[in-house]
Amino acid sequence: MSTKTLDAGALHSVAELEELSFELRTKLLELCGTYEGAVHIGGDLSAADIFTVLFHYGMRVDPSDISNPERDRFVLSKGHAAVCMYITMAMRGFFSYQGIVDTYGQLDSAYGMHPCKVQLPGVEASTGSLGHGLPLAVGMAISARHRGDDHRVFTLLGDGETGEGSVWEAAMAGRSNKLGNLVAFIDRNRQLMTSHAEERVMFEPYPDKWRAFGWNVVEIDGHDMGQLVGAIDALPAPDSDVPTVIIAETIKGKGVDFMERNLAWHAGSLGAADLEKALAALQSSRTKENV
Amino acid sequence: MPTTFTFGEFLGARSVIGSTLAELGDEHSNLFVLTPDIGATLVEFRDKFPDRFIDVGLAEQACVGIAAGLAYDGNIPVVSGMLPFLSMRALEQVRSDVCYPNLPVKIIGTHGGLVGNGGSTHYAVEDLALMCALTNMTVTSIGDPLMVGEIIRQSMTMTGPIYIRLAVGKKDKVLYEPGEHDVRIGKGIVAREGTDATIFTHGTTVAQALDAADELAKDGRSIRVVDMFTLKPIDEELIVRCADETDGRFVVLEDHLAYGGLASRIADVVADRGVRLTTFERLGIPQVYAGFGDDEELRNKHGYGPAATVAALRRAVSAQH
Repeated sequence: MSTKTLDAGALHSVAELEELSFELRTKLLELCGTYEGAVHIGGDLSAADIFTVLFHYGMRVDPSDISNPERDRFVLSKGHAAVCMYITMAMRGFFSYQGIVDTYGQLDSAYGMHPCKVQLPGVEASTGSLGHGLPLAVGMAISARHRGDDHRVFTLLGDGETGEGSVWEAAMAGRSNKLGNLVAFIDRNRQLMTSHAEERVMFEPYPDKWRAFGWNVVEIDGHDMGQLVGAIDALPAPDSDVPTVIIAETIKGKGVDFMERNLAWHAGSLGAADLEKALAALQSSRTKENV
Repeated sequence: MPTTFTFGEFLGARSVIGSTLAELGDEHSNLFVLTPDIGATLVEFRDKFPDRFIDVGLAEQACVGIAAGLAYDGNIPVVSGMLPFLSMRALEQVRSDVCYPNLPVKIIGTHGGLVGNGGSTHYAVEDLALMCALTNMTVTSIGDPLMVGEIIRQSMTMTGPIYIRLAVGKKDKVLYEPGEHDVRIGKGIVAREGTDATIFTHGTTVAQALDAADELAKDGRSIRVVDMFTLKPIDEELIVRCADETDGRFVVLEDHLAYGGLASRIADVVADRGVRLTTFERLGIPQVYAGFGDDEELRNKHGYGPAATVAALRRAVSAQH
């Protein structure tokens, strides 16, 4: 075992985490403004606060020692939010932010639309096809248990993704194997790619579905940093028996008024003019929330 | 693992899987065995290492995904089950969760071919085509029950994934004396030497090919039988050598769709390497959903049974240049 101390960053305050989230959203929009291809900006913005609380507060990780066996693991099940993960991890010190900006989506870049563990070893798993992350996380959590390690395995799913049957197979496996070291965040933005959730797929009663699978269910506002921190602080001990799902109510496109809840902004690209508009909207949104 | 069985006796490959894994569990403290409710084979391992035995119930996709998660963390996961479901229900997990990051997950299972009389939902007949298509995957199909243990053993040190195909695995003819052949993944076994034609086969039809070679011997014909138990990577040099040494007369016999399995793998090598053949005939399952019947009845009905094999070899040895 490594003797290196792992911590969750500098144990930021809620205000500092909010500042980091704002910076993350700014950087996401800038990439969306300069990269010519599509960026999954809607689901990046809905998950930005969750990424921030995980990498800057909740998870024990060490950017200088990515193989440390004691590290908490993070599996990005909603792999299309990869760029949000890359930038968050860059802000935490894993990668060069400029490297992401300069190469994203280009030939031979390690930073692409969906994360690849082979090309970018700092991430924990290759994902992208939806419904795959929770089974991977269950495997990692079983492994931790077997070794007697006390780290946690976190995963982030989109709510739309939980239409995939493999999610529920893994939900059963997580409970059956008594994985209290497993924590699934659901980015509950209530939108699929082409529809609003309840229009075509009846997800509700959503928390009850997870309860029925025997999970510890925590419901929070996924854009309220205080609640996100509270959910992390209240996690059961890793050696407990019940996996936790944190259902984070979010808004797709959060922070940019013309993107919020707008099906047209599942993925897209901002030109220079729209980038200015988007950054102004983000600033204005923050000002409003601070009032 | 029993090592005293000799040629012609019967042994269940499943029991070899179980005993081999139970042995290997001692040697490898990071060996996990996972199954979607097909655990009877694995009782020995389960009883010995209950904390490394994971039965997820009927959930093939999660089973393979969980195996990948274990492998990411440095473990050696073996997924054991029925191949029609592991190769198709969990195909995307095999491809994207296992093969894409090149993880050392071993997939081993039964019901490869028209075996077990379960009907077409329960026959894995496309599996080799699917598995051979996957980058990083090593693909094997084993007939000799004792060899199963050897292949599992060799797979422990592989850095990438492997697919190990068996028939029903309850009663398999022992084909080789232990130690008779140098068994190595990626190298075909010349199960019988011969000079007039080569029959390539794998898995449960190796015994049938040997019987057919015996029949041809009665006509004074010398048939080479190659157990091409590794379909990927295919033993190209052996194919080229057999063309050279058996006058370019090839028959390929397999309990799999006639197009997409071993015959197609060999045809690719023949085309790519510019191998000159005198004749090439494939015996396998046509484009049908095969129906019910016992193994040999189904092979006979669909044109790749013992009599069809003898007839194909007779055509091969008499074909004109």
